[in-house]
Amino acid sequence: MGKYAKIFSLAVVLGLAIFLAVVAGDYGPWYFAWLVGTTMIVLIAAAGAVLFDTQEERGEREI
Amino acid sequence: MELFVALKLIWTLLLGVLLSGLAIMVGMDMGVGTLLRFVGKNDAERRVALNIIGPHWDGNQVWFILGGGAIFAAFPTLYATSFSVFYVVMILLLFSMIMRPVAFEYRSKVDAKKWRGAWDWAFLISGALPMIIYGAAFGNVMQGVGFHYTWTGQFFQDESFLSYLLNPFAILCGVLSLSLSIYQGGTMLMLRGEEPIYARARGFAIGGALVAAVLFIIGGMWVAHINGYVFTSPVDPGMAPTPLNGPGVAVQQGAWMNNYHAQPLLWVLPVLGVLGMLGGAAMAAARKPVLGWWLGALAWIGVIFTTGASMFPFLMPSSTMPSQSLTAWNATGSQYNLGWMLFFALVFTPIIIAYTSWCFYVMRGKVKAADVAKNTHGY
Amino acid sequence: MNLIDPTVVDLSRLQFALTALYHFLFVPLTLGMTFLIAAMETVYVITGKPVYKEMTQFWGKLFGINFAIGVATGLTMEFEFGTNWSMYSHFVGDVFGTPLAIEGLMAFFMESTFVGLMFFGWDRLSRPAHLAVTYLVALGSNLSALWILIANGFMQNPQGASFDPVTMRMQFNSFLNLVFSPDAQAKFVHTSIAGFVTGALFVMGISAFYLLRKQHVALAGRSFRMAALFGVISSMAVVTLGDALGRLDYLVQPTKIAAIEGLWQDSNAHSSAAAAPWLLFALPNDATQKNDFEIGIPYVLTPLVTHSMDKVIPGLITQENQAGPRIENGIKALNALEAYGQTHDAADLAAFKANEDDMGYGFLAQRYAPDQNLNQITPANQGAVIAKTEKDIIPNVFVTFWSFRIMMFLGFYFVALFAFASYFSLRNELQKHKWLLWASMWSIPLPILACEFGWITAEAGRQPWSVYGWLPTFQAASSHPVGYMVFSLIGFAVLYSTFIAAELYLMFKFARLGPQPHHEVPDEGATPMFAARAAE
Repeated sequence: MGKYAKIFSLAVVLGLAIFLAVVAGDYGPWYFAWLVGTTMIVLIAAAGAVLFDTQEERGEREI
Repeated sequence: MELFVALKLIWTLLLGVLLSGLAIMVGMDMGVGTLLRFVGKNDAERRVALNIIGPHWDGNQVWFILGGGAIFAAFPTLYATSFSVFYVVMILLLFSMIMRPVAFEYRSKVDAKKWRGAWDWAFLISGALPMIIYGAAFGNVMQGVGFHYTWTGQFFQDESFLSYLLNPFAILCGVLSLSLSIYQGGTMLMLRGEEPIYARARGFAIGGALVAAVLFIIGGMWVAHINGYVFTSPVDPGMAPTPLNGPGVAVQQGAWMNNYHAQPLLWVLPVLGVLGMLGGAAMAAARKPVLGWWLGALAWIGVIFTTGASMFPFLMPSSTMPSQSLTAWNATGSQYNLGWMLFFALVFTPIIIAYTSWCFYVMRGKVKAADVAKNTHGY
Repeated sequence: MNLIDPTVVDLSRLQFALTALYHFLFVPLTLGMTFLIAAMETVYVITGKPVYKEMTQFWGKLFGINFAIGVATGLTMEFEFGTNWSMYSHFVGDVFGTPLAIEGLMAFFMESTFVGLMFFGWDRLSRPAHLAVTYLVALGSNLSALWILIANGFMQNPQGASFDPVTMRMQFNSFLNLVFSPDAQAKFVHTSIAGFVTGALFVMGISAFYLLRKQHVALAGRSFRMAALFGVISSMAVVTLGDALGRLDYLVQPTKIAAIEGLWQDSNAHSSAAAAPWLLFALPNDATQKNDFEIGIPYVLTPLVTHSMDKVIPGLITQENQAGPRIENGIKALNALEAYGQTHDAADLAAFKANEDDMGYGFLAQRYAPDQNLNQITPANQGAVIAKTEKDIIPNVFVTFWSFRIMMFLGFYFVALFAFASYFSLRNELQKHKWLLWASMWSIPLPILACEFGWITAEAGRQPWSVYGWLPTFQAASSHPVGYMVFSLIGFAVLYSTFIAAELYLMFKFARLGPQPHHEVPDEGATPMFAARAAE
């Protein structure tokens, strides 16, 4: 049951995302761009930090 | 009933709800601010008192901001006129309101006696002054305010700000509001504080509630003798919302009691107010701060709705040009606007109440001096 | 019709401008830092490395110092519409007040309630729950900006409301037009992302300070990296959105774009529109209505502003000359409206409706009408009134031109700075490029400066209007005695100076002190408890 609930809620989220993309993309292209852009900016900054840790670990091993 | 009239009525009710919510939530924090120097004899105790409302004052303050925004949108002309006509007082209120967030955040960040002492005074001023002004504004509005409009809707004031400051009835309302906030703040300090803060707060809560009850009763008898306002020609509640071509209005002593004579059921409101205050004092005395807090909320609702019921449908009468008095029928926004605002209020109010309650739930429990000293994120 | 004392209008404008600029010192940092802190906490929750928790809490503390003043001074802004701009509030409150109220309901409540939990909830919430709270604060502060800029968008390009001759004010008629106004959209994204740049450079600059002193290197290196990447995308987005806003101004606020570009004559006045130079440097002279000196790059202006090679951008002098008929219609509209207010006669209403769109230009003409009364304008003196009013329809060109340029030059500087910072941080070569660290540190105030100049461009460029094309600024103010204004101005000066002194003192104190908490460090035993709670 838990599995189906997860799949269902994922479907709801995806459905909402598509709806948002269609509506926002049509009426509020810049608002939509902000949503996508901000998510991307946050994720890239986070990825940079993770990369920093990886680089550091690799650097320590090389020494 | 016409949709527009219904919306006007709903928003007038919501105005009362907002003013009550503001008084309860902001008033509680203001009370704690006012009491800070008296319930906390040393720095550690004062920090405990501050951390009791620390996680919540910011959210509570939004009631004040929301109050301003909602009046702006739902009663544009009332907002434009009342804020301007009370200019000097409003600016004083503003100065004390903006001192408070800064005081919370900055006070405990520097470990110096002078620095903290100065911010403690800032708490006293920014706690007591806004509550006095809040109450006094009601007192002034009840007596009518001097303003008129030109044909473009441009507003002009006809009285000096001194007449709003030096006004016995308004001062009484101001002190009433201050004592209610002290009562409310006192019960909050009891709720999450330990000895010796608890005992001191208890004293102030009882005192505040009793003083408020006395002043409220005196104020009620006084109202029967001050000038009220009545319509002299028929009013169409569905009228276009503008004060420019309204019906005739006359000034009449004791007119604010008319609604109570017409609808005796309204007497429930002042009774609730008095019950809230006396019951609250009893609960504080019986060391039941949770009940005391809720009775304090009831007292505020009683006081504000008593005032509203006696003036309805007047919101802010003009003493110099009574026919341009602002009422629930002529000071609102358009039907379209009120509809959208109601939609947003209905959607977001439950959400706000839900997460505010959750926030209080997460931060429940007593605030201990040892925790405050250890916590680097607190105040 | 008596107008407000011009001294009171000027003092009201001064007070609003100063308090808005002051408020805006703190807002961009809040908008950006919340998301950057949320990104740090995200890494903490995913990797579980304590250094990211330390980062979240340290930057959170600096954020808190800034946030408090931002909230406090924001109150002033809401008050001032009522206390100083009563005609404005009455005239557009039906549509302008709504986004402000929704801001309170939807955004400000969320931001302020959760900011308490963000600081106080560390020991009481599971890691994911605390992360969610941080994101809600970030989202709340940016949603706040959204509704405020929707309101501001209405002032720039009023849509979603129409004038109602019975209530004598703008009546709200389309929620969707208000919210999806292109001006509001582009402005929100531009402002929010400009905040991201400000937050990123703040974090990057302070991290650079630590890196230079080789202090707190684990925290500073990671913070620098995150801020640099956060900033490089944001700064490019800001430039993109700036371009979008410029094009919007060309479409709906022709006086503003001409002032921004220092364009007195039409863009095709000297040769073709395509060859029109974009001015790199100029000294616009508002008195003689020409540029005393200019250096331009040909073939840039037209594609930049109009996104085409042949569209003509009308110059300021042309626009003044073309305003004559609108002013004449506006005078007719207002005279008909005043008559309608007394007679409620259909003929008067029809006369008003015929010239309704030019009503605002009638308001502008009041200052020059005999006795400031439009009724007293006769065919004999009308020409003189119109000639004087025409000169009033454009903003101060020098101010608009230069505030725009300072903002824009800074914007391109940020792109370059963040690009270098990201590149060298990704290669872990920051210590080899000390100049970059110095530049980052000294650049901390520059994004705030750029934001301020951006605001000046937008609002000074909107003049003489309070609501573009509908309500002149001098008409919008409250009628106060000069003494009231002096009182409030002195009060603001004293209070705000004290605040900024306290804020800078604390910021420097805690930035120098670095991540160690100024009280004792909470015992590390807290961490397993988090893990246990998270597992529940």
